[in-house]
Amino acid sequence: MSLTLRKMLHNLSALAELGNEISSTHDFDDVVRASLHMLLGTLAIPRGAIARYSQEPRQLKIVAAKGLDKAVGEKLALAHEDVEQLTRHTEPLDLQAEQNGLSNFVNRNNDVFKRLRAHTTVPMVARGELMGMILLSEKFTGAVYSEDDIDIINAIARHIAIGFYNNRLMVSLRRKAEENQRLYREMQETYRDTVKAFGAAIDLKDAYTSGHSERVGRYCEAIAREMGVTGRQLDYITVAGYLHDIGKITVDRAIINNPRPLTEREFKELNKHALAGYEILSHIRHPWDEIAYMAKCHHEKVDGTGYPQGLSGEAIPLGARIVTLADSFDAMMTDRPYRARLPLATALADLSRHTGTQFCSTVVVAFCRLLLKEISGATRTRVFLPVIGIMFDRPAIIATLSEMILEFEPQRLVS
Amino acid sequence: MTIDIQMRLVEGAAVLYPGPYLNQLRGEGIERRCRELLASGIRQIVINFAETELINSIGISILLGVIEAVNEARGTLVLSNLAQSNRELFEMLGLLSHVRIESSEAAALSSLCDKLQSTAI
Repeated sequence: MSLTLRKMLHNLSALAELGNEISSTHDFDDVVRASLHMLLGTLAIPRGAIARYSQEPRQLKIVAAKGLDKAVGEKLALAHEDVEQLTRHTEPLDLQAEQNGLSNFVNRNNDVFKRLRAHTTVPMVARGELMGMILLSEKFTGAVYSEDDIDIINAIARHIAIGFYNNRLMVSLRRKAEENQRLYREMQETYRDTVKAFGAAIDLKDAYTSGHSERVGRYCEAIAREMGVTGRQLDYITVAGYLHDIGKITVDRAIINNPRPLTEREFKELNKHALAGYEILSHIRHPWDEIAYMAKCHHEKVDGTGYPQGLSGEAIPLGARIVTLADSFDAMMTDRPYRARLPLATALADLSRHTGTQFCSTVVVAFCRLLLKEISGATRTRVFLPVIGIMFDRPAIIATLSEMILEFEPQRLVS
Repeated sequence: MTIDIQMRLVEGAAVLYPGPYLNQLRGEGIERRCRELLASGIRQIVINFAETELINSIGISILLGVIEAVNEARGTLVLSNLAQSNRELFEMLGLLSHVRIESSEAAALSSLCDKLQSTAI
């Protein structure tokens, strides 16, 4: 093979390797370092550096260097006219030649050029913009750069310039993506705060249920987690807990705060709140579509005797079945206009009695497990203890919960 | 990631074995070893390319740095057992007249020994 052909193959191979390196997902600083080595090795140049241009502040900063210790990070001062001059010339320039119009630039940075023994500079321009500069010493052999050498240097400089351009785009995109993520997180926080505020506003209507919506929201989140629910389903079940009673804002306060048993008319009026809640919530663009429907179904019963639709079993969404239990438990554990709060044992007995009719057994089991963990100290989380307090027979309650778990846990098939 | 370059010491000289491919990783390994040797006072270094099928442009670039470092330390670097293709690469880059090349490790060590003796005289 002739020397010329060998050289051509060698240069092509270097360009191919450079292309691979620049389009790789390696750290960009490593890519630039490798690219410099490739250029220097292709032409047996012992010393060189690559500097990256920045507009603010206007400077060239050395990002890769070989043959000069501690050059990385050094800055080359650049005037506006230098930028114009460098952008105009895309071929290698002799640093000492006055006709380049770079004398001031060279004088200003003479120290770096001397230490590097830089002989030639190659501006890197992509899409008409200065990306940086390559500085090269003489060849190892002392030979002058041939036309072929200049061609290959130009080709490599163009590749690296495009690499810089693409990297700048990627960095900008990444920053925008991070900013968008931050904004999205802030929006989620704002949404959650708004939901809590909504819940608090709903509770203000009822003199006895301050904090009810927030507690039900927390109970729903805890029960859902205990059931293995995660991700978006966990999120919307929690929010449904906060907003389940929003329909009550359409109900006469006098009915809500009525201390005597309700008349049939008053019951009908109160029961409209589930559908009213659905009407209100379905006009709001929540992050999750399911919320309005949860609010609508939170008074359904697994035996089909609930309202407004008379759904049964698993036709009632899981979130609604969780809200039903959480809502009822909180109602039992707080004072109402018509009765004082129930003792814990009585509340559990009531839950047990209505499991399979009003309450879903799977949800009841999860609730019992959770409560058992809190009461026995097996968990540090305190979801229910702040409400149930300490005035109860601990061993008896633990026994009751254990019995309920055994009774209502779905039977496992044994082969 | 770093790679450990095989080395052996022979009567005050060191022989390095770059392995099958002199690329950035192995090149940096060679460079590191050479700097350690120079720092420890060893000035006679042989790089045995018997197992090296390919030297890429990054490998050449790093090798040039090693040659300069050894020269600055007034040491001697000899390259031995270059495959024909690698020898042609050196020829194409004009490096043959700027680096010492021997056909075998033994010849390289012997030439270093001769140099030491002639220096002693």
